Amino acid sequence: MTLKTHIKTVKPEERELASKREEQATLEVELAERELRSANLRAELGAFERRYLHFVGVRYAELDELKAQIAERLAKEHPGVERLQQNARAARAAASETKSTAGEDCNEEPVAFESSPEMKRLYREVAKRVHPDLTSDREDRNKRQQLMAEANEAYERGDESKLIRILTEYECSPEAVQGEGAGSELVRVIRRISQARGRLSEIEAEMQELLRSDLYQLKSRLDEAQRHGRDVLKEMVEKVEEQIAQAKRRLQL
Amino acid sequence: METRGKISAGSIVPAGQRALVVRSAALVARGLRDLTRDSNWVVKKIFTGYSSALAISGLGHVCFISREFQRGGQYRTGDYGQRVVVYDVELSTPMLALSVPNETAVGSQDLAAAFAWSPTTRFLVAAWAGWQSALHSFDLHGKMFLGTFGEFGMVPKYLVWSGTEKYFAEACSGGKQACLRLWRVRDDGMSPGGPLYGQPTSELSVPGWLERQTYEAEFGEDGAFAGYGRTVFSPDEKTLASVVEIHGDWADDSIALLAVPTLKKKNAFQAQGHITDLCWTHDGRKIIYCAAGQAYSLAVETMYFEPLPFGAELCVCHAHLPLCICYSSWLKNSAKGRLFLVDMNRMEVLDEYAAEGVVNLRWSSDGAKAYAATQHGMAYIYEPTLL
Repeated sequence: MTLKTHIKTVKPEERELASKREEQATLEVELAERELRSANLRAELGAFERRYLHFVGVRYAELDELKAQIAERLAKEHPGVERLQQNARAARAAASETKSTAGEDCNEEPVAFESSPEMKRLYREVAKRVHPDLTSDREDRNKRQQLMAEANEAYERGDESKLIRILTEYECSPEAVQGEGAGSELVRVIRRISQARGRLSEIEAEMQELLRSDLYQLKSRLDEAQRHGRDVLKEMVEKVEEQIAQAKRRLQL
Repeated sequence: METRGKISAGSIVPAGQRALVVRSAALVARGLRDLTRDSNWVVKKIFTGYSSALAISGLGHVCFISREFQRGGQYRTGDYGQRVVVYDVELSTPMLALSVPNETAVGSQDLAAAFAWSPTTRFLVAAWAGWQSALHSFDLHGKMFLGTFGEFGMVPKYLVWSGTEKYFAEACSGGKQACLRLWRVRDDGMSPGGPLYGQPTSELSVPGWLERQTYEAEFGEDGAFAGYGRTVFSPDEKTLASVVEIHGDWADDSIALLAVPTLKKKNAFQAQGHITDLCWTHDGRKIIYCAAGQAYSLAVETMYFEPLPFGAELCVCHAHLPLCICYSSWLKNSAKGRLFLVDMNRMEVLDEYAAEGVVNLRWSSDGAKAYAATQHGMAYIYEPTLL
């Protein structure tokens, strides 16, 4: 009987796979972190937008309504002046547009966005496990996109239990079943890395877009002023209210 | 080997980018704009150099005489004579240069000049001491010189169109040679010479009634008739109000109210000091005039006048609202001038803004804005939120 020594050899593709998995793991962490930052910014801007519309937007809507009434009255007083008729129509259209954008005034005051450390941890976890750019399967990607959108909404709302449910749901789903074959797996991992890098670029572009937006510019100015003890949102409200008062006076003339 | 997914035939499926949708974009931009501006005035530099005579159109186009015309960042003087250059106040850019055929360049360009934009801003009538002694008309739509009419002995002090472009008037100084001329604008379509040509419909030289009732001084002496100055048509185009200027630092000018188109005297009013500007209120019931730095109102029916609670040298009333935009170069305890709005119902001064050297004021054709321009090429745009 020949004694055969079984030496465990590591195939080249397995070595490469291990290395790529490490790279993927690093990217997953970075991706989750960037998604969190992007989600934070979107949530903050969303909350700011709601506050802005609640305090300033509805007043602009009131002002535009008064301006439309002034223009309509002028048009009625001078029926032969076509320019005034055009002005009145334009003012009415602008008032409708502003009202539809600002929405109806509601009594409940929107609050600024804040996220707890636990929420951030859960979001990172969801982003790592469920991110659509970490799969190469079309059906799985669709499922992940749906879940990621739900996770974003839940994060903006501060809904912790929903984030936990999303994690559980995905971990128990058939898409989480794992496959076989080092060669095939290597290809999958390489593709996931490529997708993750692509997504990182997209997040960067989205962040830049958000940072360039008027909404962010306005928020930054308000935040900066707040650090110096000024409530600029309140000042804006006062300014528009002053214009509203002027418009009301003009209507009474 | 464990994997987290399966390779499918479709391989990589790119994830859709999440577009940034801000439903409130317009309202946010509005808030941002309102936040950054501290007044309803916007100030711009529209041209370099100097021009004491310029005119703003209802679309915010400023014209004056210049040899230079900047296009594409470069000034061009070329072989041209002086031309009427037109700048867009809103865009702060040169629009076009209108030349007059066979006119040659002259040494000085800050010679006496007068301009009048038609209310539709299609036509421009100009007079300049460096050209042939006649009124020059231009078509801004065709960007061309139309021709000359109304030869004169002295460059007019003031040119004006009526509100519906039905009449055109020219006011000249020059003592004995002074005259006020009125043309009825041709309405038979666009002819080669433009809407204005030939002899005036009516003309008024030295007002006999003024000589008899006021002064016996010889022409050119203090107290004698000097000529016609600022002139404006009433909103209904039935009356022409023209300043009758009198020689001398301490002389008092008058306002003549003349029937259109005959130029027959309807009434006259003697002011205190020299009148620098006048305009009709939107309802045509009053004339606002500026004399010796003070603003006054004159009721046309009763000729009752009263000083207004502000000083001004230039004034223009809004066509449909009880608003008047004014300029005063002189402020108590300050060397600075100011532009401001007046609510004519309350006599309340609104939206003051420091400004110097303003030579022309104008409301925009749609009445939503007002423009002011200075002799040093600065433009002020009044953009109120309520108009």
